[in-house]
Amino acid sequence: MRIRETLEATGHFAKRSGLLALSFFLLCLGCAAQSPAGNIADDLGRTVSIHEVPLRVVSLAPSNTEILFALGLDEKVVGVTEYCNYPKAATAKLKIGGFSTVDVEKVVSLTPDLILAAPVHARTVVPSLEKLGLTVFVLAPADMEGVFNSIRLVGRITGQEKRALQLVEDINARAKAVTVKTESLTPDQKPKVLYLTWHDPMFTAGTGTLAHDLISKAGGQNIASDIAGDKNIDLETVVYRNPQVIIASVNMGAGEDLTWQYVNKEPRLKNTDALKYGRVYKIDGDLVHRPGPRAIEGLEDMARFIHPELFTGTR
Amino acid sequence: MLTLRLENISLGYGKRTVLRDINLEARPGELLGIIGPNGSGKSTLIRGITRLISLSSGQIFLNGQNMAAISRAKMAALVAVVPQNAALPEMFTAFEVVLMGRTPHLGLFQREGQKDLDIVKGAMEVTRTYALAGRRVGELSGGERQRLVMARALAQEPKVMLLDEPTAHLDINYQIETMDLVRRLCLEQRLIIITTLHDLNLAAQYCDRLVMLSKGGIHCHGTPRQVINARAIKEVYGAEVCVLPHPVNDLPATFVAPSITGSLSPGRDDPTIWRP
Amino acid sequence: MELRLSKDATATKAAASYPLRWRSRSYAILGLALFFGVTVLVTSAIGSTHIPLDTLAGVFLSKLPFIHVEPAWTASVETIVFNIRLPRLLLAGLVGAALAVAGTTYQGLFRNPLADPYLIGVAQGAALGAVIGFLLPASWQSASVPLLAFAGALLAVAAVYLVARVGKTLPITVLILAGVALGAFLAAVTSYLMVASGDRLHGIISWLLGTFSLTNWWQVSVVTPYVILGIAIIWIYARPLNVMQLDEEQAQQLGVNVERVKLVLLVAATLMTAAAVCFCGIIGFVGIIIPHALRLIWGPDHRFLLPLATFGGASFLILADTAARTVLAPAEIPVGVITAFLGAPFFLYLLRQKKRAIF
Repeated sequence: MRIRETLEATGHFAKRSGLLALSFFLLCLGCAAQSPAGNIADDLGRTVSIHEVPLRVVSLAPSNTEILFALGLDEKVVGVTEYCNYPKAATAKLKIGGFSTVDVEKVVSLTPDLILAAPVHARTVVPSLEKLGLTVFVLAPADMEGVFNSIRLVGRITGQEKRALQLVEDINARAKAVTVKTESLTPDQKPKVLYLTWHDPMFTAGTGTLAHDLISKAGGQNIASDIAGDKNIDLETVVYRNPQVIIASVNMGAGEDLTWQYVNKEPRLKNTDALKYGRVYKIDGDLVHRPGPRAIEGLEDMARFIHPELFTGTR
Repeated sequence: MLTLRLENISLGYGKRTVLRDINLEARPGELLGIIGPNGSGKSTLIRGITRLISLSSGQIFLNGQNMAAISRAKMAALVAVVPQNAALPEMFTAFEVVLMGRTPHLGLFQREGQKDLDIVKGAMEVTRTYALAGRRVGELSGGERQRLVMARALAQEPKVMLLDEPTAHLDINYQIETMDLVRRLCLEQRLIIITTLHDLNLAAQYCDRLVMLSKGGIHCHGTPRQVINARAIKEVYGAEVCVLPHPVNDLPATFVAPSITGSLSPGRDDPTIWRP
Repeated sequence: MELRLSKDATATKAAASYPLRWRSRSYAILGLALFFGVTVLVTSAIGSTHIPLDTLAGVFLSKLPFIHVEPAWTASVETIVFNIRLPRLLLAGLVGAALAVAGTTYQGLFRNPLADPYLIGVAQGAALGAVIGFLLPASWQSASVPLLAFAGALLAVAAVYLVARVGKTLPITVLILAGVALGAFLAAVTSYLMVASGDRLHGIISWLLGTFSLTNWWQVSVVTPYVILGIAIIWIYARPLNVMQLDEEQAQQLGVNVERVKLVLLVAATLMTAAAVCFCGIIGFVGIIIPHALRLIWGPDHRFLLPLATFGGASFLILADTAARTVLAPAEIPVGVITAFLGAPFFLYLLRQKKRAIF
């Protein structure tokens, strides 16, 4: 009697726990499809372990903010920088400091599960945050391909892979619409382009920058291609290299188009091809310096500036 | 005749009056010495004459003309000062420093000419400093610098010379040389020379007339024989001295005399007191 | 100065027999003037873009009247040489001369080897003015920064002067103390503004370190009269400045109008320095190295020291600027960094020269 009861009880128990185990297993399977897969390498080669979908994300760079919002993660973003001005909803989020001046205390007080940083934070901010036990991912895209990687990576670690892949596809399609026309151009069909970030002193974007990649893809030759990174360039070199197109960055920080005004006013640039044939343009600096989803708009703008004969209309 | 006359001069620093109602006259060819204790106003008097300190009252007349009306530049061409402890820039050469003495005679754009250079050389030879001409002031001793300042004053070719303790840092041979030179200049070139002196013996030997200052006023004045005596020194300096005629020229020579009472230790000649 | 040799040949020959070194010093002035001229020519050939010498010669010759040279170069080469390099060189020369002469003057006025043109507040006043200019709406910036820097420099010195003046006299030690105190205060305000400046900071720092990039002919034309006038006035007062190396009482007794000389020299040196720094920022060390070096070699007589400082300072800064724009071409180092690089070892060398007097 007792044995049977025990057996029955055990059977009941086994059934229930089996059911429990099964459902748990199934749940795990379901989660696995959505949850991030363990140890992932970020753009600096650091291996970061992420096992759960992050619920509270802090972004330390405007480009990262744009990626997060583009992937529909706006609800999960709890902290952004003062410079994160796109999309509009981002400006309503709590500010954790400037771009290179991050208020670590503020970040910690937000108890994030994930922090998306940029290379500028690598040496000081990232170690501080890691020491406090926070999960930090550094994104360092240097060109369009890098932007795609960033989007995919963020998608992976936040459980938004599908959406990320879709976004990348859309952007890629638009990029291809440009490059299909420009990649077949011969070197003398590619105008010499000067991209100016600022005018006093003159700053340009050399190799390894997003701007350089955009210029190349847009079918231009960056006259600063012997310079690496964002560096200053002197007037002499500009005059000597005689750019045919000058693209000035505007809306950077002060919200004015001073660099574009300068290019038009500086008498010593009057004899460059760009000024002679009226090929001076302004571009929103946020599109060129933020390696995020809007870089494609920067590319399209540049394509229209550099090859108006191939690309018409407004964006 | 060129005279320098002080009439009822009072002067001081700010609210503090150092000298009151000073009257004196200096004549060319006559070496006038100012003596008195420290703080009696000797240097102040010199600086008052040269207008470094403004007079609170009274006037100074040079050759009948009120000195206040003479421009600074003109005054520099007439009056030369040899101050005490004159600061000299270290990197200039001795010759260049003495050459600065020609400044009052040169216009703003004028350069020193042959005449100026020769005068400087003469002044340096007279003061026995020409051997130092090419050396930097920084390398010279205090006494050598003092003689340089004297040479510079000579280079100014002044009519009036004011000296403030000209023998202060000098060895005894240079003291004698300097006073010999001053006296000779006074007599030969008929300069008006007023000098303050610390040393009563030098004052007696070299000065034609003396003025003894005490507590902001003139205590007595006259020839050395009239001024330097034990009583006057006691009244002004508060010291007991012996004033005797100098063995060579009878001028008053001051000897330090230990006090007759009080300064000897009581048992000085007592053989029972232990002595090393 | 060059006239001396021909007019008073006999006097100079006689002077040579006295320990005066007038002749050798006059030759030194000529030599430095020549060196300055050569420096201008040579450095106009140096830059981040390579222009072959024969092209350069052609470019220069074509500007002379009556010489016709076929232009075998592009318009950009002419722009580079005449509108980029030449104004830059000339401004560097003007600023170098101004700073060196002002430094010599201040060292003479204050009888202090550590005096430089920025001693009584010129730099701090100019810096504050410039930073305010940078913080104004950016569209006014190109005009407002130099103007406010100039005004700031003059106001600072005027304030120091008013504080230090005692009746009709200007006691030198009080002047220095007031200058240091006011300078410290202005520097504090400037630092605060810099912290609050955000993204304008890079431009400000560039200006503060001193730079000649983007110099144009207009700037040269603005600065030239101040510098020429200032140097001329100071040259005139060279002998009184010599005499003032004695103390002020002795100088006065030698007939120098000490208060007037102080005022004139102070005003001339300050105006010149303010004009010099308002476009290119605070370039240090020129005002203190050049006078010392020249004094060590050719002696303290200001009648020679001032012309030497003029050409020496001009050449030095032109060379420093050339280094600044070629060492990391096409990027530029602020020229103040180069002068500091050269200045610090020189100071150490001076400190070791304790055995002989340096002043």
